[in-house]
Amino acid sequence: MLALVLALSSGAVGGLLVAVLPAARSRLRNLVVLFFTVGGILGSWQVARLVWAGERLRLAGQLGGLSFSLEPDPLGVIFGLIASTLWLFTVVYSFGYMAGKAHQRPYYSFLLLAFSVTLGVAFSGNLVALYLFYELLTLTTYPLVIQERSEEALRAGTKYLLYNLAGAAVLLLAIVLTAVWGGRLDFAGGPILAGGFKIGLNWLLFLFTVGFGVKAALMPLHRWLPAAMVAPTPVSALLHAVAVVYAGVYGLLRVVYSVFGTGLLAELGVGALLPWVAAGTILAGIIVALRQDELKRRLAYQTISHLSYILLGAITLHPWGLAGAVLQMIGYAVLKTAFFFCVGLIAEQTGVTRVSRMGGVGRVLPKTMAAFAVTTMGMIGMLPLGTFWGKYYLLQGSVAGGKWPLAVVLVVSGFLNAVCFIPVVVKAFRAERTPSPAPEEGGVRVALMLAPTLLLVVIGLGMGLFPGLVWPGVQAVVDWFF
Amino acid sequence: MTALLRANLPVLVVIAPLFIAFILTPLARRIRLVETLAFLATVLGLGAAGHLATVVFARRGSPFIYQLGGWPPPWGIELVAGNLGVIFALVVTGVSVPVVLFARGNLTAEVGDTGRVTRFYVLYLLLVGALAGMAVTNDLFNIYVLVEVVTLSCCGLVSARRHPRAAEAAFTYLILATLGSAFVLGGIGLIYMLTGHLNMGFAGQELGRVWPDYPHTVLLAVSFVIIGFGVKAAVFPLHVWLPDAHATAPSPASAILSGLAVKGYLLCLLKFLYGVFGGVLLRELAVHRILTLLGVAGIIAGSLLALTQEELKRRLAYSTVAQVGYLVLGGGLLNATGLTGALFYLASHAVIKATLFLAAGAIQAATGKSRIRELAGVGRKMPLTMAAFTIGSCGLIGLPLFFGFIGKWYLLVGSLEAGMILPVVAILAGSVLCAAYLLPVIRTAYFRPAPAVAWRDPGRPQKLALLLLATAVVVLGVRPGPFLELARKAAAELMAFV
Amino acid sequence: MNELWPRLLVNYPYLAAAILFVIGTFTVLTHPNLFKKLLGINIMESAIFLTFVASGNIRGGVAPIRATANAEAVYINPLPSALMLTGIVVSVSVTAFALALIVRLYRVYGTTDLRRIVVRRKEVTGDDGFAQG
Repeated sequence: MLALVLALSSGAVGGLLVAVLPAARSRLRNLVVLFFTVGGILGSWQVARLVWAGERLRLAGQLGGLSFSLEPDPLGVIFGLIASTLWLFTVVYSFGYMAGKAHQRPYYSFLLLAFSVTLGVAFSGNLVALYLFYELLTLTTYPLVIQERSEEALRAGTKYLLYNLAGAAVLLLAIVLTAVWGGRLDFAGGPILAGGFKIGLNWLLFLFTVGFGVKAALMPLHRWLPAAMVAPTPVSALLHAVAVVYAGVYGLLRVVYSVFGTGLLAELGVGALLPWVAAGTILAGIIVALRQDELKRRLAYQTISHLSYILLGAITLHPWGLAGAVLQMIGYAVLKTAFFFCVGLIAEQTGVTRVSRMGGVGRVLPKTMAAFAVTTMGMIGMLPLGTFWGKYYLLQGSVAGGKWPLAVVLVVSGFLNAVCFIPVVVKAFRAERTPSPAPEEGGVRVALMLAPTLLLVVIGLGMGLFPGLVWPGVQAVVDWFF
Repeated sequence: MTALLRANLPVLVVIAPLFIAFILTPLARRIRLVETLAFLATVLGLGAAGHLATVVFARRGSPFIYQLGGWPPPWGIELVAGNLGVIFALVVTGVSVPVVLFARGNLTAEVGDTGRVTRFYVLYLLLVGALAGMAVTNDLFNIYVLVEVVTLSCCGLVSARRHPRAAEAAFTYLILATLGSAFVLGGIGLIYMLTGHLNMGFAGQELGRVWPDYPHTVLLAVSFVIIGFGVKAAVFPLHVWLPDAHATAPSPASAILSGLAVKGYLLCLLKFLYGVFGGVLLRELAVHRILTLLGVAGIIAGSLLALTQEELKRRLAYSTVAQVGYLVLGGGLLNATGLTGALFYLASHAVIKATLFLAAGAIQAATGKSRIRELAGVGRKMPLTMAAFTIGSCGLIGLPLFFGFIGKWYLLVGSLEAGMILPVVAILAGSVLCAAYLLPVIRTAYFRPAPAVAWRDPGRPQKLALLLLATAVVVLGVRPGPFLELARKAAAELMAFV
Repeated sequence: MNELWPRLLVNYPYLAAAILFVIGTFTVLTHPNLFKKLLGINIMESAIFLTFVASGNIRGGVAPIRATANAEAVYINPLPSALMLTGIVVSVSVTAFALALIVRLYRVYGTTDLRRIVVRRKEVTGDDGFAQG
């Protein structure tokens, strides 16, 4: 119980503390940020340990006639662990990236607040709590999107808010309907709607898909994500490749496994349609990514594509598919964050933000580009990296679930990912010209950015070579739902 | 003594502000005393309302009935304090305290010399007393008189500024509100002709018996009542007077006009529709459908109009038009859940709108700016004011853990129970639009660089008032339980007529 | 339809009230002159008062004053008349208030015509935060 409170509150407390610290005390601020991030991580690891040990952690309250509860289960724990672990890396990276930039105090303050809110999403035990944190996540990350305060950033921020708030409104409707039809909102105790078939359930599933689909960047609800790339790179890496978008994906997993249940979903027409929406998003996302010249936008569209991998796995309604989805969640999060970190490193040191100007970057930034190359392999899903195992189970799950065309989609998508990024790597290592100004991979600032990047790559490799390290967590999720 | 006090309690809520209002005028030279007396009057009203609430709770459902002058109905005027009366009396007196606190020592800039300030307080207390009276009265003609008192004091408050636009807005308001009063009075006259009663309970019973004989007259009466109160409560599309009036009034007046006065008329409308005409008649004449449609149109149109406003107070005023739509919609659902939601929302909107208008007023007073794009950096310079504004906005948008959420939830559930999709869509779209017109204000205030001018948070009473209201938004949002229970009981009282 | 006219004629006070109400409402809503608007309001209110008083009237009835009336006289209902006394008081105060506002507007704009006020608004008040229509 204490661990749960610690995990949830440390970000919020830290964020408020940072907000009142003097803006000039950057060193003290960094220390505070680090302290509370580590606190959050310790809390969430402890929560994970307890949940895996089979203990029931629960914080509940009443809100009028509505119950409101936080009760982590194995799936929530996985999301919480991914988020909190990567938060530490991002915070360290931010120390380097943000050094000397304007508006640091609001940046760290909201980064920590968003940490608490993300863990809240992960650990929420019923739909009301999930809705609350889902809505709060939009509001706490909005200031991070408009961090630059430029006109472009403000426009992107408005788009971000409108998409996400409209999605949350649809979600609220879906939750009200669930409350009216299902009579309860708690996840614990099996699927909420498992009781019986009703006429409107197709619509309900549609509403849920739209509500969570906005954050999960399901096409055609994805437009806010590329726009949000005006945010600083650590924010793009953590929030718009992992935390925020995973909140949407996590919500959809909850809808599939905790609200409808696999049995009911298989009977619904919209349920049968969902895999194809996911497959369409996978292909369309990566094809649009191919045409982007700006690196961060290319990565954003690739994120859109990869998020649907996870969905696809979940909707196969097969244990292997779910295992694949969870593995993909873990492996992809690590490598995509590293990928974004590389892009940030390149942009900060050489000023290069476009694919067409990448020539020669590999010569001046060998370590960064090496990491970039390895993460590229991961995006394709090649063996020594963690994402391979996710993809492997996804393929198995889709075939076992009787939807073999989805396996083909996955293979094609892997190929397209290769087309999308391998030429970039090749181009970077071919010495066409030296980008100016002449950069150096040195100094404390760059070290602070490079160290977490390389460490993440190593973790990605480790997960590929020793998948047994993460398997117990995955196994727990599968056992929980099947 | 206490027995005497307890026996006369419902009147005390009404007459405490009214009587103190009348002794203020000769004290105009001693403005501090006037302010203190006005504050004490509202506190007294709140105390009386709180005591009334405990008395009504202790009676477990049977309302507390008071016969003015000892005359029993159908001859005398009857005051009935049930849960509905209690909830509204609590809201009126509860919001009036921080608002009068905010006005303390702060009005001369907006209103003028001490004589005018004193008149402001007189009108303010008359308004509060009359609104509290609306909560408890059970007599048709008494309602008319209270409506007129509220209307005239509102017009007086709107015209309190010396600015010519204030006089213009007050004139428009006066003419349209009197038009509305004429309709209301006409409706009351028709009801009296049909039933021979002015007591709402008797009139309702009699009307239930005789309406099949006079269908046209009844229809006329219903339309008169709806149009009359519709104009006064700014139900879209009869809202044309509201934005001018609420945007030009001094800020404490705007807060009370948007937060309470409009709600008073809506409460009267609900009392008429449910208590006098009754559910059968409403269904027969499809009045509930009309109300729902009016509500939906109000939510959407009010929010869209609010989006296009550049001036902060005007934007808030249009937002009131939208929020009135929620209440009308809830009244038209004709089920207990929807009505619970509407009554809860009534209370939450009263508190939230008062917070927003007071914060806007504080900003305007400190900066001299009224347009949203000129508010850059206000969040940095006036942290407490802007924090209150932000909390109020969160409540109005309907985030969980803020006061507005539960009301919206019950309205949604009520709409679904009534089997209607249109209100559901409107409620949700209203929330998103509300975010769209309030969040830019917050964004400009916090994330645009501040000009190098020394603005400061307002004085201590103003800060305290904002703090009280913002705390109420959060506390009642986190712990809505008792209040929701009250709203549920009040809704049950109204639903007893359906 | 044939029955309608005789019935309306018998109830002529109500007919008159309806006509007055319509005239009043129409004047309030359409006339640009502030005074005329106010007059329209007064006409409307008179219509309502008439309805009320007429509803209490009984043809051939006498005023309900105990001392002068004989035992078998039919009293008219005094209540509506008494109520309308209140109504008239309210109406007078509304009129007084409106007249005060009109005077204030006339001092600023030099006219009581709403159309000309709208035209002159900008030059008189300038841009002080209330410029939006």
